[in-house]
Amino acid sequence: MTPGTAAVSPVGRLRQVDLRRRWRQLNAESRWGLVILALILMLSVFVPLLSPNDAYEFVDLPLQPPSAALPFGSDHLGRDLLVRVFAAARLDIALAILGVSVPIVLGTFIGTLAGTTRTPIAETVWDGLVNALTAFPEIILVLGIVAMVGADVRGLLIAIWISRWAQYARIARAKSLALRDAEFVQAAQVLGYSQLHILIRHIMPNVFSEALAYALSDFIFIIVIIGGLSFLGLGVNPPTPEWGAMLAEGRLYLRTEPWLILFPGFFLSLTASGVALLARGLERISKGEDD
Amino acid sequence: MMTASPGSLADRTLRLLRHPVLRRLAQAFFVAFLLMVFAFLLIRLIPGDPAMILLGDEATEEDVIAYRKLLGIDGSIPSQFGRYVSNLARGDFGVSIRSREPVLSIVQKRLPISLWLTVTTIFMTVLLALPLGVAAALYRRTWFGHAFQIGASVLVATPVFFSGLVLILLFAVQINLVPIAGYHAGFPANLYYLWLPALTINFVLVPVLARILQSSIVETSSEEFVEAAIIRGTQGWRFYWRYLLRPSLAPTVAALGYFAATVVSYAVIIEIIFNLPGIGMTLVDAVRNRDYPLVQGIVFLSGLLVVGLTFMADLVNGWLDPRAKIR
Repeated sequence: MTPGTAAVSPVGRLRQVDLRRRWRQLNAESRWGLVILALILMLSVFVPLLSPNDAYEFVDLPLQPPSAALPFGSDHLGRDLLVRVFAAARLDIALAILGVSVPIVLGTFIGTLAGTTRTPIAETVWDGLVNALTAFPEIILVLGIVAMVGADVRGLLIAIWISRWAQYARIARAKSLALRDAEFVQAAQVLGYSQLHILIRHIMPNVFSEALAYALSDFIFIIVIIGGLSFLGLGVNPPTPEWGAMLAEGRLYLRTEPWLILFPGFFLSLTASGVALLARGLERISKGEDD
Repeated sequence: MMTASPGSLADRTLRLLRHPVLRRLAQAFFVAFLLMVFAFLLIRLIPGDPAMILLGDEATEEDVIAYRKLLGIDGSIPSQFGRYVSNLARGDFGVSIRSREPVLSIVQKRLPISLWLTVTTIFMTVLLALPLGVAAALYRRTWFGHAFQIGASVLVATPVFFSGLVLILLFAVQINLVPIAGYHAGFPANLYYLWLPALTINFVLVPVLARILQSSIVETSSEEFVEAAIIRGTQGWRFYWRYLLRPSLAPTVAALGYFAATVVSYAVIIEIIFNLPGIGMTLVDAVRNRDYPLVQGIVFLSGLLVVGLTFMADLVNGWLDPRAKIR
């Protein structure tokens, strides 16, 4: 701890104690998840920042094995694989967060709206709609939308947004069905707030925590599908560093230069595993299961 | 149950309609109708005029009109939808722009490979997940249980296009146990080409299914009828199967129905990695070629397949677990 930081002030110390207590409440899985994610985030910030090499720049002969100068070796065009792997980490994580954030807001809003209207016919239609949208095999629906909108990053994000909101809507509807008769909602109604105000300010915040829990597992799916479609050449395109696209390039050298797929693939899996461990750990805590 | 019930025919018909199986069937048909609507709307997502996108700027007026007709986007939207529905009812799913072959016949040609892959995968999933899930439930407080939990999270998160490449590296490049890629029709020879792709998908599926089974068994073991069976002195296989495993299987079977959708989903990427010319590869090619009718047809049919499978899983579910029937 460096002197003069927040730890010295009483508030800072309190916050530190609070953090430490939170940490102690976690189980092994969620701790591992947090450690992994912190590691990946730090590496993805600092490696491209501190490395002398650029992700697009040719620095050595192509297909050099890992060495002291190039810890991950060089790729088929002679670019530094280490820098590219962590430049890809930045892009993939940013895209996945962007991919999760729109469906969670949209789905939660639509779901609470559906949960607070009280017409039986709307419920039947609603069930069918959500069931139909979630019936399509996920990757096939995303591919179908990408085929129409365009095989690039924009198309990929739009496809994710269109195909992922329904699950959040389903969760939000179930939760708001239970909440719509709660006393604090009735109180807000008696006070004369508008329906929309009650929806956004009183019901949605309570629904959001459950949606966030689902968002963690959805994040895994989305980061995998971003990599998957880029792997198929239908998402992020080379020369932009992206894990899936790098795997597709490295696949051609599988026999002779396997590190070309091992490094990007490992860090993609590690990122997704970190989120998976965190999600699973938190789920078990909320269920009250011990280790 | 209601064989000797009195009442008019209308009464009995009404009661029959309330039968859970029929209600599920009606639901499935409603969902199938909505799938059709979504598939129809899919082509509307194309920014701009699809015919112009496909033909380029130098297209003649006649060409554009012919292409619009081919894509089913001429006339008003309600009339387009009417034509789409009536064509589907006659089994006409449109014509591929690239090969001018009917979509349905392309699908029929490529479907067997994907079905074989799906069946092999699910078979393998059950074979691997059952013992794993039971073991994870029985030894849940030992090192095995903890390793299972962590390992499952890691495997679930590993994308198939990475684990697939690593498996090819291990099995096909290092030790020549499988062909690197390709396919040869005909059972059982095709299993030689299918086992590694199926195993790859199972890296994701087995942990999920085993986990569902594990928590389901743990839940069942705290039920009163299990305690009663123990007190009555039921032992051995009869105890494990009838009181522990069978009542715990329902969520697993329900998950299997849902898994079919996941397999169909992952099969797309797997077919590309292992070079299996199935529906997935057809779809990816169609996306690359902007073959809109073919994409539309495959998306709709895959959704239909999943609705059918979910319906069947629901039926098996009711038979396996008497508790599910009461609801």
